[in-house]
Parts: sequence; C-alpha cells; structure tokens
Amino acid sequence: MTESWGNFKSFEGKKFKAMDAEFTNEVSKLIGGKDLTACFQCAKCSAGCPVSDKVNIQIHEVMRMMLFGLKEVLETDMVWLCSTCYTCQERCPQGIDITDILFGLKNMAFKKGITPAGYIGARKSLYDTGRLYEPTDWERDDLELNPVPEFNIEDTKKLLDKMKLMKLEEDE
Amino acid sequence: MTQSYEVFLGCAIPSRFNNYESSMRAVAKELGIKLIDFDGASCCGTVVLKSIDESSWLSMSGRNIALAEQRGHDIVTPCNGCFGSLKDTDHVLHDDETYRKKVNAALKPLGLEYTGKAKIRHFVEVLYDLKDEIETKIVKRLDGLRVAFHPGCHLIRPSKVAGFDDPELPRKVDELIELTGATSVHWDMKLRCCGSPLLIASEDVALKILQEKMISANGAGANCVVTNCPACHTQFDIQQLGLKDDDGNSLELPALFVTQILGAAMGLDLEPLGFELNRVSLDPINDILGL
Repeated sequence: MTESWGNFKSFEGKKFKAMDAEFTNEVSKLIGGKDLTACFQCAKCSAGCPVSDKVNIQIHEVMRMMLFGLKEVLETDMVWLCSTCYTCQERCPQGIDITDILFGLKNMAFKKGITPAGYIGARKSLYDTGRLYEPTDWERDDLELNPVPEFNIEDTKKLLDKMKLMKLEEDE
Repeated sequence: MTQSYEVFLGCAIPSRFNNYESSMRAVAKELGIKLIDFDGASCCGTVVLKSIDESSWLSMSGRNIALAEQRGHDIVTPCNGCFGSLKDTDHVLHDDETYRKKVNAALKPLGLEYTGKAKIRHFVEVLYDLKDEIETKIVKRLDGLRVAFHPGCHLIRPSKVAGFDDPELPRKVDELIELTGATSVHWDMKLRCCGSPLLIASEDVALKILQEKMISANGAGANCVVTNCPACHTQFDIQQLGLKDDDGNSLELPALFVTQILGAAMGLDLEPLGFELNRVSLDPINDILGL
C-alpha cells in the first residue's frame, strides 16, 4: 500500500546473491535476537499486526529475511512502519521477541542513514534539550500546576556523548 | 496507609495534556496518594530513542530510574509511553549484565547507579489497588456514558515487562470505569495500537489506523473514547478532529482521560479536571458529565 517509505518494495523478480551468515549472526545478537532461528513462519505475527495491510513487506517476511541473511531487510517499510505495539511478540507461539528485534533493526538502519526524517529531528531535540516537547506554561498556570521540575541538560549530554548518539553514522 | 511516589510526567503531558496531570493530581489527593515532584527528570527516552540507539535509550531512561532510586522512592507515571520505556529499561538492565555495566559506567560520573530498587508503576495500577475505596467515593453516577476504553499498547504489552493486566483480555481499568455507572463497551479494535508512534514516520499510516479504530468505536455504539496515555490521546483528541470515514461521515467522538471521568464521578471540583481543555467537543456528553 505505501509508496512513502523503503526502497525494497517486493520480492517479485528479485535475485539474491548470497545468504550472508554474518548478517544473520549480527541480528541474532540484538536484544531478543537469540531465538530468531525458532521462527517456523506460521505468520501469526502478521495476522495481528496493525500495519500488515499497509506495508509492502510484512513482519513474518522480515523474520525470514533475517534468517536468510538478506541485508535488504533494512530497506523494507516494515522496519520503520512498525508501531511498536508488541502484539506480534505477545502472540508468537515460539516466544520470539519480535518487536525487540525490530528495534535492533531500526538501530542498524539508522546507522546506515536509512531513517524517516522525523527521527533525525527527534535525536537533535533529545540531545539538545533532553525532551521531545516543551511545556505549555499558560495551560499549567490556568490549572495552577507547578512548573515542570528542571534538570541539568549537561547530565544527559554526558551520557549521550558517551553512547555517541550524535555520531552513530560514523560507526559504519 | 499513605502511598507516595515520585511522579514521572514525561514530555507529552506538560506540553499537550495538562488536564491529564491536573485531573490525576485531583484524584490522587482525594485518595490520599502522595505525588512527589520528580526533580531532574529528562525525557524517558521512549520508543523514539530506542529506535535510534538502544544504548542511548537505556542510559537516558536508566538515569531517571537511578535518580528515584537514590532518593529512596518508587516511580508512578500516567503515561503508557514512559511506563513502557522505564519498565522495559528496568527489565533489560536487570537481565542483561553487559548493558547494566555499560549504563552504570556512564552513570557513575553523575554520582548515580542503577541497582533496580525503584519500582515503576502506572497511575492506573495504583488506582486499581484502591478500587474498593474508589467505589465508596462515587457520588455522581455517569449513567448513559458508553465508553470505548483504549488501554493502549505499552500498559499491557509485552506482558512479561508490563505485568499489569491480561494482554488479550484486559479488564482492570474497565472495572474502574464501570464503578462510575458508565458502560465499557466491547469494540473489536479495542486492543489495536492507536497509531500514535507512527506520526513521526508516516502520518498517513497513523491516520489510517486511527480511522479503523474510530469506525469500530462508533459501530459499537460508544459515545466517547477513554484513554490513560497522552501519546494515545494525541491521536484521539488532536488527530481525531475532523476525522471522517471514506464516505465522508464524521467519526468524531469525545476523548476523555480516565482520571477525568473518575474525578467527575467522585464529585471533585470540575476546574482541576480540565474539561475545558479537551479539544474534541464534549457537547454530546455534557449532561452526563454534569458540565
């Protein structure tokens, strides 16, 4: 359905060079990735997924692409159109932490510069201000709420510098 | 026994839904729940930062948990996003020694350490513990209110992290809602994500999901939607404005916070419940709420 996101839109006519065992190994090490090989393609994950009918590549296909070591998975729309609702993870009969693995895939895609623009802005906001949105003071005054407690932005900057948040792309 | 918590507001509530904070505080006061301001809190990190870089997310979120822990307090939050992020962080840092060491090494120069002593709870969990007491305080029945209750995802899933209610058949908040005399209707899209986390990646897809939800809520005969999360509420009380089905019929239903209807049914002062800040018109249910 979507044209808006992802370069990999269909398996139709695609030929894949080689299965990259190293990539499979890499995704297996993501949070939740250890049970990846237990997937037997029942597609229950896709059956309950709120975006199954809105993406080109569905979540059970993403699971198989990871197992087959197909790096093209990072270019699928499913990666960034996952709403993080955890329904697939909750229902997986093999107990695979599917949603958590998908977060790891997002991390890998972000490092390669494959990400919706909104995330670039959100990263800057989180780094610069430690928040995603600023308080609406007139509403708080009207409702006689106290000001939102302050914090030292240098504290979170120190943490995020240590994790190299603003230099993730250079890790490649 | 008085319960006390540091209250973690997150970013969305002070920005868009100050009526949620205000109604939460009013209900907490009536029930003797002590809410301590959370000094030094940053954003929880949320699924946004987790999507970008898990180490950054764990350190930002872990710092918040460590602050409460250092002061010997537990944490309560009225936001599903913050609840999910903080609980998930707690879960990872508890189970994964590599991440725990990495985060604690970063926290050490700030004089902080995560050890996992601070409990993290959602405000509705605390309310559910006080269900019997709430029942005795209902003075104004909200008969005729037909609620499509939207629990949201991160309050109940993944259940091994959230640990609050049945992930496939949640009933606890519905029970609180029904104490008021309101009916919590069955709607088939109840457990579906609201689509809010997708607003950053694709507003089209987020709105399509919201449309599916609202067709279901209207079809079930609900006359309002109730949530316990500001991220979900962004969909229901902002994005929902002017929402129509594919034939052009309005799908708008008033959107309320669970604390607003509990406060109204407990006969609390209306002003702090903040109904005048609700964006979708409350006209269809004004009489029931006594506005």
